[in-house]
Amino acid sequence: MLAAMLSRLARMVVVMLGISILTFLIFFATPGADPAARIAGRNAAPETVAAVRHDFGLDQPIWVQYGAMMRKMFITGDLTSFVNRGEKIVPTLRAAAPVTLSLVAGAAVLWMALGALTGILAAATRGRWPDKMLMGLSMMAVAMPVFWVGEMVNLITQSRLHNTWAFSWVPPLGYVPFTESPLRWALALVFPWLTLAFLYIGLYGRMLRTGIIETYQEDYIRTARAKGLTARRVLLKHATRSAIIPVVIMFGMDFGVLVGGAAVLTEVVFGLNGVGRLTYQALKVLDLPMIMASVLYASFFVVLANAIVDLLCILIDPRMRRK
Amino acid sequence: MIPKLSPERVARRAATALALAALAGFGPTLAQAEGDHRGGTLRLVSVSSQGTLDPHINYTSQFWQLYAFLYDGLVGFKKVGGADSKEVVPDLAEAMPVISNDGKTYTFTLRKGIKFSDGSDMTATDVLASFQRIFKVLGPTAGTFYNGIVGADTCLAEPAGCTLDGGVIIDEAAGTVTINLTAADPEFLFKLSAPHASILPSETTPKDNGNEPIPGTGAYMVKSYDANNSMVIVRNPAFKEWSKDAQPDGYVDEIDYTFGGTEEAAVNAIMNGQADWMFDTPPADRLAELSTTAPDQIHLSPLAAWWYAPMNVNLAPFDDVRVRQALNYAIDRDALVSLFGGPALAQPVCQVLPPEFPGHEDQCIYTQDPGTSWSAPDMEKAQALVDESGTKGAKITVVTEDNAASRGIGTYLQSVLSDLGYDAAVQTISGDIQFTYIQNTNNKVQLSISQWYADYPAASNFLNVLFGCDSFHPGSDASINISGMCDQEIDARMKAAIALGATDQAAADKDWAKIDAAVMEKSPALPLFTPQQVDLLSTRVGNYQFSSLHHWLIANAWVQ
Repeated sequence: MLAAMLSRLARMVVVMLGISILTFLIFFATPGADPAARIAGRNAAPETVAAVRHDFGLDQPIWVQYGAMMRKMFITGDLTSFVNRGEKIVPTLRAAAPVTLSLVAGAAVLWMALGALTGILAAATRGRWPDKMLMGLSMMAVAMPVFWVGEMVNLITQSRLHNTWAFSWVPPLGYVPFTESPLRWALALVFPWLTLAFLYIGLYGRMLRTGIIETYQEDYIRTARAKGLTARRVLLKHATRSAIIPVVIMFGMDFGVLVGGAAVLTEVVFGLNGVGRLTYQALKVLDLPMIMASVLYASFFVVLANAIVDLLCILIDPRMRRK
Repeated sequence: MIPKLSPERVARRAATALALAALAGFGPTLAQAEGDHRGGTLRLVSVSSQGTLDPHINYTSQFWQLYAFLYDGLVGFKKVGGADSKEVVPDLAEAMPVISNDGKTYTFTLRKGIKFSDGSDMTATDVLASFQRIFKVLGPTAGTFYNGIVGADTCLAEPAGCTLDGGVIIDEAAGTVTINLTAADPEFLFKLSAPHASILPSETTPKDNGNEPIPGTGAYMVKSYDANNSMVIVRNPAFKEWSKDAQPDGYVDEIDYTFGGTEEAAVNAIMNGQADWMFDTPPADRLAELSTTAPDQIHLSPLAAWWYAPMNVNLAPFDDVRVRQALNYAIDRDALVSLFGGPALAQPVCQVLPPEFPGHEDQCIYTQDPGTSWSAPDMEKAQALVDESGTKGAKITVVTEDNAASRGIGTYLQSVLSDLGYDAAVQTISGDIQFTYIQNTNNKVQLSISQWYADYPAASNFLNVLFGCDSFHPGSDASINISGMCDQEIDARMKAAIALGATDQAAADKDWAKIDAAVMEKSPALPLFTPQQVDLLSTRVGNYQFSSLHHWLIANAWVQ
């Protein structure tokens, strides 16, 4: 077990190192990205550009710059942004993380619960109208882009019907820290949660349904039925349990990617200044330190989430325990 | 100055154009009669913040608008709406400076009793330290605005040890500051009015102060700033109004600026009374709706700016003046205006200096009947010039930004170029990258779309900056003369006009009008249109005033 964990850790370091070097090289290969000219400002004199280049160490060999950046990020922790100069990268990321985590974790609970319910219900009523209705809805959920759904939700709750009894309770867009007021935290996140979860409910529901139906063909299901187990027991205890494995694996990927910043569209539409928006802004203005930090942060979460999922799978599926 | 252009800010809607055209006649409206309006909190929103809070470094219109009531220079632009806003008035100095020594020496006497927001006194020492700091922090305009001060050359070469010996001389006891220039500079007072010449406490660190607010002398001060979330601005407790023109006492007690969300959400927040103003331009489709449902809340104001398409005079086929002129004849400027949102949001132009700008005289050579204004494209003439040049079939790429307006214009130019017989393509790049990309000659950009906003009301700020030899730096990402035009004769005339301005500004402005025509004759760029500023306010905001330099004067508005 220890060896497995150590090898995973080593792999994580290699992945992160590779990603950081790639990001760094791509940045410097981008034409028009010269950080010195950007920092110096519009119409700066050549002397000023040269002085900025020297001051920020941008005149040094690229590997020295890479080393300096890594040292500032991981050892001294005083890496600062190229754009919002004086803004420390690590604390900024740390401050944005709870926003994204609140959004994604809440949505994840919703989509796992509702997705599983959808999949199981649809599989149980296969071919009949609840199945058809649920699958139709899921297809719609998957097909609608999240930023569009978000804008529509805002249009209704913040603009068109904002002054009616139905939506007058909806707070202005933005994040309220949990420590400030748990109630207002939850209220502000209700629609972002629903919006982000919507797509995944559809996706996971469809996946689980197909999985269960496939599992029904297996011999051990026939055996279970032959033993005289109830239909419900067969569905929940035997079929779902094995059909949910791919869903859990996918959940790990999705959760890691979303916490790492892929929830950017939902964040921007609902005015939640999380990691995704931070990354997007950094990319827009080519803020190298922030890009590096958020890319590493994201890759860390993806690797971590995958490791956790592997453990979960072992718990769920006894077959994985013997090797 | 860098305008903040968010993607998709401007879309095309004929409906917007029509509805807003009806609005254009409306001036600022007063929500209520003048009375006791002091107090309350103003809530501003913006999609994003704009970098460091340091007034010696930040070079964005978004934060310059705030510096208007946070910091002061020795002199400053008058804080009133309308045409008077271009006037320079004494600010921390008691009166306008005494100018002697053939315009090379400026002597200021400081006002007494002015305090910084940390309670310390503002003295001549602070003034000297602030001028040194411009160079020590490698300010963006150090080498372009303030390089004329005696000793500036050593400061630019050796920023850390900057003293400005002989350049800025102070007499602490008498409270006087003398600034010596190497040559007369009629624009020097404008440059001193820019936030980059703000007077800060002498103990301010000689490094970019980043997101830590620096005490200032203005009516307000920044209480907290988180670039990723919000800024809170409160009254400066040490402030006593010394000149209503230079630094008026504000009406509201607090200004809360929130960053994040989308333009769409900002419009909703304003209409729901959750916010009072948005920095970004409302999306065009919402503007159409708002212009009928809430016309009193929209304010349109002319900007000292232009959208233009620089043509690289050093690259084929634009190294042939006939090709450049042909394109100027061929473009339909009315079509460009409607691409930007219609006649209420932009006016067609066919010269460099914007309307009502010093040195501007209505003139247009690239139109059907050359004269004072543009009427229609002249395709025949254009075609004839192209045929004459023998460049037909050449490959031309238009480099645009990724917002709807820039992309639309790029596609339009592509169609015009195809009509003229060229093999044209459009290349779209993220706005923030495009601006530096098109400047660097190594990227071999033939034709691009860009904007320029005036820093101060002087013709040279357009002509000399955008088409002067001094701002062309081959191989650098910082080379604002994007066309790469360096015409020795015109350059000499521009230098002469700047010099003439020291003694006779009116005569100089006449020269600038001629230079404007001469530059257009060489056709280094396609003037597209002059944009308008759109401000959307909540119903409770009163006393809207628009200054061409600071834009909406936030401190002059009230909320109760």
